Amino acid sequence: MTKDLAKRIGFLVAVVGIVVVTVTPLVWMVATSLKSNREITQDGTLLPSALTLANYFGLFNGRAFGSYLTNSIFITTVSVAIALLFGTHAAYALARFRMWARMETYVGFSLLVVRMLPPIVIIIPVFLTAQQLNLLDTPLALIAVYAAFNTTIVVWMMESFFREIPVDMEEAAMVDGDTRWTAFRHIVLPLAAPGLVATGIFAVIVTYNEFLFALVLTSTPAAETMPVGAATLIGRINVDWGAMSAAGVVGALPILVFSFFVQKHLVRGLTMGAIK
Amino acid sequence: MLAPTMFLVLGVIVYPFIEGIRTSTGFYRYGKLVQDVGLGNYTQAFSDPAFIGSLFTTARFVFFAVTIETVIGLCLALFCAREGRIIRALRMTIIVPMVVTPVVVGIVFRLIYASDVGLLASFAKAIGVSPPEILGSTTWAFWGLVFLDAWEWTPLLFLILLAGIQSLPVEPFEAAKVDGAGAWRTFVDHTLPMLKPTILVAVTLRTIDALTTFDQVYVLTRGGPGTATQLVSIYGYQTFFTYQQAGYAAAMLIIVAVVVLVAAGFAVALMRRGVR
Repeated sequence: MTKDLAKRIGFLVAVVGIVVVTVTPLVWMVATSLKSNREITQDGTLLPSALTLANYFGLFNGRAFGSYLTNSIFITTVSVAIALLFGTHAAYALARFRMWARMETYVGFSLLVVRMLPPIVIIIPVFLTAQQLNLLDTPLALIAVYAAFNTTIVVWMMESFFREIPVDMEEAAMVDGDTRWTAFRHIVLPLAAPGLVATGIFAVIVTYNEFLFALVLTSTPAAETMPVGAATLIGRINVDWGAMSAAGVVGALPILVFSFFVQKHLVRGLTMGAIK
Repeated sequence: MLAPTMFLVLGVIVYPFIEGIRTSTGFYRYGKLVQDVGLGNYTQAFSDPAFIGSLFTTARFVFFAVTIETVIGLCLALFCAREGRIIRALRMTIIVPMVVTPVVVGIVFRLIYASDVGLLASFAKAIGVSPPEILGSTTWAFWGLVFLDAWEWTPLLFLILLAGIQSLPVEPFEAAKVDGAGAWRTFVDHTLPMLKPTILVAVTLRTIDALTTFDQVYVLTRGGPGTATQLVSIYGYQTFFTYQQAGYAAAMLIIVAVVVLVAAGFAVALMRRGVR
């Protein structure tokens, strides 16, 4: 009896410990963002004594956080949509068609290697190319880059889903008069829907959070995204701590809200995105 | 069906990569090619103490961060490999840090480490000790960065290892229970050996990502103080965008790319073996 109780208490202590370590840094940022700058720099209180939203108003009046938000949402949506469209078709082709000299294995393999290529190693030529094409500081440049990287993610994740779907179902549909295309759209895609959802979630999170390309390819609120906007508040000698913490909250909020709404599929999306 | 994907990936990722190789053989001044230096930039890199230093800093960072993440991630995964309402909520809480925008993670930890207004400083003041100097100290800034990375990415290791544990067969564990083996013996004799392939994949994937960590350092320290947190990605970025040395920066990043691609090839081979 006492042993059970001790076990129970140990379990709860561990749970609380994990939650505290995970959540405290974020709570501190939120707490700081709700303090006046006077309280932050002079009083050094742990929790805000008087709540103020002044830091948040400052982000939207006078700073361009409204534009950052719309840019982020627009660029993420378009690039993930393109990637899902292109990527599912490519993944289906790789999963179903046999090409000359088993080319499909090599294509699949190269796409996977490309997917693991870190952005930093191509940042210089991408920047120089965008400069030549006059695409610097436009959403188009970011959309192209994100769509390309996301497509490799989609191909790699979706190919295994398509492989698991029995060929017989499409063949039966094609005997009944469907073409390859209609069979793909009406039979295969609906069956692969859970995979599509997981893939989409993973791509949205990665894209929204991306910083390096956005930092290098954009320079004004016309195209800057949330992470870049949040980072512009840092690095000066006199840091405006209140504005910086509010920018952190506003910067992370959209993706946290998104994650909250898709939480049922989140674990699957993140796990598969990592290992598939 | 493959064409759009190939077009996009070749145009936006592969072509720049090849352009990067070409750039790496030139000497640039103010963005203009001055002369072709062949492999000169590469020999320069290997005799540049700053580059070698950044490689060592990166290696040290990756080693400590990934080790800590693997050990804690494994403990968390073992702890969460049971069912229950609390555990399900705990799993969702644990993965929050990996969803938070990396730039914002940098902000969060600036707000913790800052010597005047940070959480640690406020806490120290509250209990009456002198506030610790973290971002201004060459030793502590490095460990501060390692801790940041551990906080952010332990969830990834946790997720992959949890998926691994949940897919283990149950029979060996039941047999061990019948034999009266303790929890530790069961872990060493059964869990660890069966989980080894998953651990290997998880560690390799995390290592690949950690090798080019950029966003958090950019926000937290910009590589400083001195060169204490100057990872190779930060040094390469500064060489191009601050010092305008396109050729030399490209050469450094190509060296990084080679290291990453070797690791990525290794990871792909591991995963393919796991699949079949």
